[in-house]
Order: sequence, then structure tokens, then C-alpha cells
Amino acid sequence: MNTKAKERSQIKVITGNAAAAIGAKLARPDVVAAYPITPQTEVIEQISSFHASGEMDCELITVEGENSAMNAVMAASLAGGRVFTASSSWGLVFMYDAILATAGARAPVVMVNVNRETPGIIAVSSGQQDMISTRDSGWIFLIAENCQEVLDLVLQAYRLAEDYDIQVPVMVHYDGFYLSYLSEVVDVPFQEDVDQFLSVLKDQPQRTTLKPGKKLGCGSHGILGGYLELRHKHVTAMERSKAKFDQIDKEYEEIFGRSYGGQIEKYKMDDADVVLVGSGSMCGTIKSVIDEKREQGIKIGLLKMRMYRPFPSEKMIAALKGKKAIGVVDRSLNFGFKGGPIYTELKSFESKLEGAKLVSFIDGIANTDITKENVGKMIDMTGDLANGKDVQEVTWVSYPEAQGGI
Amino acid sequence: MTEKKKAKLTPVLDYLKHEDPFAKGVAFCPGCGLELLLRFIPQVMGNDIVITGTPSCSAPVLLGQNNQSWHKLSYFGTLMTGAAANATGLARYYKKAGIDNTVVCFNGDGTAADIGFGNLSGAAERNEPFIYICYDNEGYMNTGVQKSGTTPYGATTTTTPFGAASKGKNLRRMNLALKMAMHKIPYAATATLSDLGDLAKKLLKAKEMKEKGFCFLHVFAPCPTGWGAAPDNTIEICRRAVKTNYFPLWEAENGKIRMTKTIKKPKPVKTYTELMKKFKFMDEEDHKILQDDVDYEYCILGGLSVLEAECQLPLPADE
Ligand SMILES: Cc1ncc(C[n+]2csc(CCOP(=O)(O)OP(=O)(O)O)c2C)c(N)n1
Ligand code: SF4
Repeated sequence: MNTKAKERSQIKVITGNAAAAIGAKLARPDVVAAYPITPQTEVIEQISSFHASGEMDCELITVEGENSAMNAVMAASLAGGRVFTASSSWGLVFMYDAILATAGARAPVVMVNVNRETPGIIAVSSGQQDMISTRDSGWIFLIAENCQEVLDLVLQAYRLAEDYDIQVPVMVHYDGFYLSYLSEVVDVPFQEDVDQFLSVLKDQPQRTTLKPGKKLGCGSHGILGGYLELRHKHVTAMERSKAKFDQIDKEYEEIFGRSYGGQIEKYKMDDADVVLVGSGSMCGTIKSVIDEKREQGIKIGLLKMRMYRPFPSEKMIAALKGKKAIGVVDRSLNFGFKGGPIYTELKSFESKLEGAKLVSFIDGIANTDITKENVGKMIDMTGDLANGKDVQEVTWVSYPEAQGGI
Repeated sequence: MTEKKKAKLTPVLDYLKHEDPFAKGVAFCPGCGLELLLRFIPQVMGNDIVITGTPSCSAPVLLGQNNQSWHKLSYFGTLMTGAAANATGLARYYKKAGIDNTVVCFNGDGTAADIGFGNLSGAAERNEPFIYICYDNEGYMNTGVQKSGTTPYGATTTTTPFGAASKGKNLRRMNLALKMAMHKIPYAATATLSDLGDLAKKLLKAKEMKEKGFCFLHVFAPCPTGWGAAPDNTIEICRRAVKTNYFPLWEAENGKIRMTKTIKKPKPVKTYTELMKKFKFMDEEDHKILQDDVDYEYCILGGLSVLEAECQLPLPADE
């Protein structure tokens, strides 16, 4: 990340949840609808207080459940509004039918999802399983590493979702329990700069919206060619969103002085033989372990995924090809496969990685910390793989009972 | 309301001030009550309504296929699960943007009484500024006539069929309209197709009252195909539903119930059930159960209207 101190911004020490709420406020949404769930609750509490104090001039819909939150913002978005919602875990999956409909309708909804486990056992704890449960819905998924990035990504998400050439809903993910409640230094931009950053959208052609008396509708039954046409357009819009996201990241830097690299962030990758692929808050820990290992002469780098859907395959292949070994760290499971979801997806590009070998690490589920020690272990094992040693394909790092593989 | 009192409209045709926005031949069964209602609404309320519809018998016509629907209204296809929440989003955005609007959330009983009741109730509690219309054909018709929460006692459907161990639905129907009135929303009413003047008045009243918040209309709309009735008997079925008090006509402002039609000598419910094959397995005992239910519901309705009138305390929501 490149950071230039910005004169015209405020430095605050706030949680990831507060950063999300402030990001939403700065984007000036017309309609916000949300329902509380741990660890997201603070987001809607903050927005409610902004609304109550008059700082936020939006319609605030205190819905009776998440399903209604997503349905309300979807419709408000298709009517022409800028919208926001937030959820997590069970709340996110309770929205699921409406999440699919929102994507199908190409409603440019922006939301944050504060990642949490979503299993059969009620787990009020960390994990990206909710992200995986909604992965195939046709949304763009972005993942933040720290509280600053939460705020920055919310603003960038509006530029991406509402871009005339994209018009796909965007979900910004950040780790519950870690980023949600962690207070960090956050550079909060000024309103006029945010207005300027988002004003680009006003200069574009305007999307079709649903208005009274306009004899226009949405939500027809799609069949045969008509359906195929819409699906094909959706898939191509998602492909376009990759380069668009890179461009938005650059424009963001011009105004706010912060750039993250777009789809992926490369940390000490150039000369690295061994690479960890990670996402979200674990990346901070990984970076500090990399710094220590580098001092011991180990050439290790990190590829941080900032965009998870669409899968940034071209950028990842370009960054990873020719490396000796790659360890992929997943904070979720991919039922039916031994390895984690990101590992499994990356594995499908293995033939393009010019001989780089892949291993899967599963860690950080159910509030098990991805400690520096754990990261060290992952780096060592990936290093062993690079050196031609036999390494098991999948390791549950915080669950020694599973050593020996699945 | 400071508006001048308008000249009283009596004949039904006088209420039809606007064009019928629907194509002439559309995909409803002959004699379908839903079709009559759907055509009637925009002719009375105006073609500038925004109408939402779910997967249901209304969908092929109201929502259309690919990029074409069978009418000239602005429309929004919702999921069965979230209809009232979608309408909420539309109405709230129009409010924020200062756009004049009448959002009509148009749903079958399957959505209103069952799968979408949670968000219907939520929208009522929040007093969202739109009109929810439930056309009640007493079952899930689009999927092939299954039981819903408003299917009456004794009716056979494909999930409450006749058999050695079953004579049809053995549970009473829920009183959806009363439940909604009890949310103390600005306006709730029942209506049906035999009393179109009454229906038209209630549509116009809802259009006016939605400025104060949530309005709910429960319209009894027979389904000849699913009920085993003659297509040319739809209006007569409605008429008898009213005359037997099977479906009484009333309205409620802020929960204060007022009958809009009282039947001096209600006919036995059998004069209603005999018009349909769905009740054909009911014997005398079953008819008594259904009659008792009708009488009980009517009695409670009357009792509530008296209680509300007698109660001197203001409703806290009243200005
Ligand atoms: C969530 C969901 N479950 C099931 C269905 C299948 N389905 C389509 S139409 C329908 C029945 C709708 O009944 P109702 O709302 O009463 O309308 P009607 O068909 O009677 O017009 C059902 C169950 C669906 N579309 N969505
Ligand atoms: S099945 Fe019933 S409700 Fe559906 S179109 Fe036919 S008559 Fe109308």
C-alpha cells in the first residue's frame, strides 16, 4: 500500500464497523435497510445515530429481518437510489434469495458483510464461510485487510457497482471479531473529496430505472434466448469489473493518496520463491512474519486477494507463475473438496503456473487465531515443498489432531 | 382532509376513469377473478401506479417474459418471500427523491397469508407508504391448487385431497384482513368482485390514505379452475360469499372497523359451497363446522367494531 499523508482528512481511531458506517455515510445513500447481527450490529447502530443526528439524510428502514433488508435495497436501487445494507453469517444467508435476485436484476447495491462462521452449530466466531456460502450469487466480492481498507473499499464499491459499464452489486467483506471490533488509526476523508470521487458516476450515461408512469418493468420471467442474453451480459460485466477495479484504485490514490494495487496486492513478491496467498485480516500477520523470515534470508512474499469474485485469475497467474511453491490460506471450508475454496480455485490454474506447486492451509475458523507461529509453520511447510520435500496437500493448522492429512 | 367533497359516483362504470392497460387476450383461465381485479385496479387508480407481483397466477401476464409484459404499467417482479419489502424499497426511494407515487404490492394469498406474511406484517408495523392488495383465491393456484392459510375448512386441494383418511382441509382458514386491521394501519378493507362500486371506493380510499401510511386490501377473487366452479359463476360466487357472511365487506381506519355492507338475513353457507366442487365431500357435520366458523368470525368482527366505537381512549397514533 502506498500512503501519502493527506492534509485534508481526519485521523480517527475507530473500529472496522465504524469505518464501514462512516464509509456508507460519506457515500450519501438514499436508502439504508438493515437488521442487527453479531459482529455487524455496530454498523447499523452507527448509521442509526448518524440518521438520528441528521448527519445522514437517508430513508432508514428498520426492517423485521435481513431478507427484507436486501429486498428493500434492491428495489430502491432499481428505482434509482443509492443504497446500503450490512449483514453477517445467518443474516447473510437469510438474504440469500434476494441476494440472487439483486444480482440477476443487476441492481448496483453496495453492502458490507462482516465475516462469520455459518455452520450447523451456532458459532458466533470468525471465518469466511458466509462469504463462501454466497460466492456463486453473481455479486462482486471485495475483501478488506484492515479498518482503513474497509472504509476505502466501501467508497470504491460504489464506483464499481454503479459504474455504467458494470452495474453489478458489490459486497465488501471484512473479518468479524478481528476487524469488526478492532480499533485502528483510520484516515477519514472529507466529504467534498468523496463527493468528487463519486461525481464521475454523474457524468456517465444514466442507467435505466423504474419510475411511475414510465411503462417500464423488471423481474419478468426469463426464458431461452432472453435469459441467456442477460446471463451472458452479467458474466461479461463481471469480467470487465476486474480492470475497472484496478482503475478505480488508481483514481482513489489521486484523490486520497492511498492505493492498494487493485484486484491483488503483492507484498515482497518480486524476488520471492515461496508465496502465501491470503485474504482479509490475516494478511497483516502474514506480512510481519514475512518481514522476519526475510531477515533470515528466506525469499517469501504474500499475494493478498482484494477481489474474490470475479476471481482475479489473470493477475494471479501473472504474479504466481514460475514461483517454486505457493501456500494458499483459506479461512473457510469447501465441502466436497479436501482443500480450501481459494486453494481449489487456484488449483484449476495450476497448468499455467509454470511448475509452481500448491498446498492448502485451513486456519482461522471459529476464532482460532491465525498466529504468527501458525503463519511461520505455513511458510516453513511451503518452503519444504519448494525444496522438493513431501508435504501433505491440506493442513488444518490449528487442529493438530488432523495432522497426517485428510 | 381539506379537499372538497366530490360528486358521488354510483354506477361502477363511472369509476373507470383510466384506460385498461392490459392486452385484450391474456393468459388467464376463463372466468378468473384475478383477471377482473387486475384490470380493474389501474382503470380506477390510474395507469401511473407502480405494481409489483410475485410468481403466481398473475405472473405470466403481470410480469411477462424476457423483455415483454402484457400491459403498459410500470411493474416490478418480486420474490414470493419479499414482496412487501420490495414495495417498501420502491416507496421509500420515491419518497426520498420527491417522486409522486402509488406503489401497489399485488399478491396472492400464498404470499400474503403464508410465505410473505412476515414482511407484510413488518411493513404494516413500520407504516410503509404503499398499498398492499391480496387477491384471495384461497390456495396456491399457479403451482396446481395447493392448500394455503386461507383455504377454508372442508375444501379439497391437491395437498388436502379426498381419501380414506381425509375429506379435505381439516383446519380453519385464517382471517388475514382482520389480522392486518389489528396492526392499526391507516386503512384496511375487504372487497370482492360482486360489489365493484364498493371495491372502487376502497381502492380510491387506499390511494388517498396511503399518504398516511400502509393500506391493505383483501379482495376475494374466485378461481373457477382450482375451485371446480363454472367460469360464468364467478360473480355469483362472490355475491353468495357476501350474502352468507362467508366474506363480509368492511373497512377499518386505524383499526376501527366499520361494515360497508350488512346482510340483514344471512343465507346458510351451504348456498355458497354448493357452487363449487372443492366442497363436494362435505357432509352435514362438516357444513356445521364451517357455518360455526363463519358465524364466529362474523360475531367477533361485529363485536370488535362495537368495542372500537365504545372505547373512548384515543389511539396513540391518532393526531
Ligand atoms: C420461495 C418460493 N417457493 C415456492 C415457489 C413456487 N410457487 C410459484 S407460484 C406459487 C403459488 C402462489 O400462490 P399465491 O400467492 O396464492 O398465488 P396464486 O398462484 O394463487 O395466484 C408457488 C408456491 C416460489 N415461486 N417461490
Ligand atoms: S388457475 Fe385460477 S387463479 Fe389461476 S388463472 Fe386460472 S382461474 Fe385464475
